Amino acid sequence: MTTESCFERSAIESILVSVVDDDESVRESLPDLLKQFGFAARAFSSAEEFLASDCVDQTRCLLLDVAMPGMTGPDLQQELIRRRQAIPIIFITADRDMIVRQRLIEQGAVKCLFKPFSDTTLLEALNSALRPK
Amino acid sequence: MFVNVGLCGLPHPPQLPDMDVQYEQAAREIKRLQRCINDLVSLLALPGIWTVSNPSQILHTLLDALMRMLSLDLISVRLNNPVSEAPVEIVRLAEPRGPMPSTHEICEALSGSFADNSRKWPPLLRNVLGEGDVSIVPLPLGLQGELGIIVAATQRTDFPRQTEALLLSVAASQASIGLQEAQLRIQQKHIADELDQQVAQRTAELAAANAQLQLQVGLLQHIPVAAWTLKPDGTPDFVNQVWLEYAEQTLEFVRSHPEAWMTSVHPEDREIAERSFWEGVRSGQGFAMETRFLRARDATYRWHLNRAVVLRDAEGKVIKFVGTSTDIDDRKRAEEKLLRSEAFLSEGQRLGQVGSYSWRPATDEITWSAELYRIYEFEIGVPVTLELIRSRVHPEDLTLIEKMKMVDQAREGGHHFEWRYRLLMPDHSIKYLHAIAHATRDQDGQPEYVASVQDVTARRLAEEARDKAQSELANVARVMTLGALTASIAHEVNQPLSGIITNASACLRMLATDPPQVEGARETARRTIRDGNRMSDVITRLRALFAKKEPTIESVNLNEAVLEVIALSMVELQKNRVMLCPELADELPLIIGDRVQLQQVILNLLRNGSDAMSTVEDRRRRLLIRTERDEGDRVRLTVQDAGVGFDPQAADRLFDAFYTTKRDGMGIGLAVSRSIIEKHHGRLWGTLNDGPGAAFSFSIPRTPEGPAHADSIHNLQAPAIAGPVPREDHAKPHIAANQYQRTMDALS
Repeated sequence: MTTESCFERSAIESILVSVVDDDESVRESLPDLLKQFGFAARAFSSAEEFLASDCVDQTRCLLLDVAMPGMTGPDLQQELIRRRQAIPIIFITADRDMIVRQRLIEQGAVKCLFKPFSDTTLLEALNSALRPK
Repeated sequence: MFVNVGLCGLPHPPQLPDMDVQYEQAAREIKRLQRCINDLVSLLALPGIWTVSNPSQILHTLLDALMRMLSLDLISVRLNNPVSEAPVEIVRLAEPRGPMPSTHEICEALSGSFADNSRKWPPLLRNVLGEGDVSIVPLPLGLQGELGIIVAATQRTDFPRQTEALLLSVAASQASIGLQEAQLRIQQKHIADELDQQVAQRTAELAAANAQLQLQVGLLQHIPVAAWTLKPDGTPDFVNQVWLEYAEQTLEFVRSHPEAWMTSVHPEDREIAERSFWEGVRSGQGFAMETRFLRARDATYRWHLNRAVVLRDAEGKVIKFVGTSTDIDDRKRAEEKLLRSEAFLSEGQRLGQVGSYSWRPATDEITWSAELYRIYEFEIGVPVTLELIRSRVHPEDLTLIEKMKMVDQAREGGHHFEWRYRLLMPDHSIKYLHAIAHATRDQDGQPEYVASVQDVTARRLAEEARDKAQSELANVARVMTLGALTASIAHEVNQPLSGIITNASACLRMLATDPPQVEGARETARRTIRDGNRMSDVITRLRALFAKKEPTIESVNLNEAVLEVIALSMVELQKNRVMLCPELADELPLIIGDRVQLQQVILNLLRNGSDAMSTVEDRRRRLLIRTERDEGDRVRLTVQDAGVGFDPQAADRLFDAFYTTKRDGMGIGLAVSRSIIEKHHGRLWGTLNDGPGAAFSFSIPRTPEGPAHADSIHNLQAPAIAGPVPREDHAKPHIAANQYQRTMDALS
């Protein structure tokens, strides 16, 4: 990536999007795609690992898996609310459960994407999340 | 010349004319008379000395006396019927005063003169021989001369004088009496001797008979049957020791109480015993009857056969009844037992649809039970031949009969055989039979098969129906289980798919930059392929679980099977916030079985454990899955949850189909799981934890038990007893044994 090819991109390059998913293939592939979009990206294998990192404050958007061993996605959502960390959350889940999605959105999630999702769907979700309110 | 017969036989001197002469004559006469009386007394005294004499001695003394008294020249005696050793003839001769004829001559001369009747005898013969004068006097012995004759002869012409004739007459009658007495004595002696001999013989015979009798009485007393005799009126007069000991009665008591024996008869037998007894006695025919007699020693009644035969005298009058009472209790009981067991056998055959037959290959003689007629649907009583049997046996199973024959030829009897075969009935229906045969030898040493045959058609059809139902149930359970795991399946499929799409998107974007990010694109393409393969694996596994295919027997690594199930269940478990803790044993031996079926069981146990903790909020939802070696070359798997446990009261029903505690469950999971484990000759059981929750385990043999094992997984036969019951805490409800028995009952 060059500064020339993506001026605007340099503006968002400082925007950190964090990925929390226990699935390794997600942790490998998603940051690459996010970087192609021009974001900075970090991947964590669990909610606990994310909370323990120094990225919580800098994260502008969280791509969060729902079902994980230990603390689940919704658990982390509740924990961040409790900590008053207003990070926009986009849930990503392989479980096509509309009821769960409905509940997650009601609880403040920006989007809930069912795996697999296309790059454009992801980009739209990120735009929604990062759109100034 | 005739002599004047005087009293005296002595020659007298010439007559003297004077007184002196007269006086002298008278004195001589007196003297002669005195001598005569003396002689007479002597003769009369002779019998006194003859009492112990034999006839020979009698005659000798008589002849001697007469010779001396009468001065005879000859005297002889001839006995007609000598009784013993008496000589036929005795002769005494005096010194001859002149020429004397020989006795023989005299006898010859006399023979013509004597008739049979002695009364016709001449009293005196004179000069019969012509040469000189000889007076001969024959005297008959016996009234008729039947004893013999005494002949007295002298040359004196005055013989016999009156006194001599008297003496001769007295001597003859004395001799007759003496001889007769002697003869009588001899006869008496003979008789006495004969009697003595007879008495001695009889005595010896009696002694021998007595000894024999003693032996017989002894035998009678102690022969091992009760023996007795009855008087013609039925009164006992002899009872042997065996009976007295049996009844603990005395002979005196029995004799004095003619009806005493009746008190020993079993009350139920008394009426018929009394009737038979008196009928037999009154008719004089004797009797035979079976009664129970009380044995005094232990107060038990034992069956006896009582028989009496009658003894009659020459006129046919009843002397006695002789009888025995034989203890037939053992035989009787054996008979009863036999009858009972025959009845039981017959009834048992009918109830159990078991028939039996025996077959002697040597003669093709076949004995066929009634139930077997029914099973084969042969008309009762039709002679059963091998041909007839062949006409019923299913053509595909006919070779069994030939095998039986060959087996028989090859072996020496005493073997068991077991086989299953089919009958093809006239209506084309099929019967399934199960036969067990024992090859043995009959009394002639020929081989004989004794077989029992059970009609297992109903069972077989039931088994088939059950297998089918169970198989369908298992399929429903599988679909249900997998339906409930839709989320996991979606997750399993979507997760790699998500990676594929994300990587592919990133890849495209990397290639679209200028210059293209070749290195990054290559990396994302590589990940795309990897995730594609991963997804392919998942789909293969899912296809295996969904496919309704026949069971496959293979070597199964239980740990790998568990890991695959965990992979499929993980999302579901995570969704339920279950913390799964696998404890898989290292170097777990491979087992032989159906991998997919076993995985269904594991999946079911995991899901049950997870569901049991769905309402648990106050503790961790810990689900332990453990594999380990078990006793007896077995492998055990345990899934332990921390959930709500189960009601110990309902422990028995946990494995029943359609028993469930879940609102949305059908209750077939454990029932199907159990049938699967039992098809693997294993057991599935549940126990309550010390703390909250329950554990469910199965234990299956590492290798199949018995040759029928592989087959059994298909056929769902009754499982073999599978090793010891695991040692759990017995204070906790332990449902394995109970439930196992129930399953056994249900399957058999």
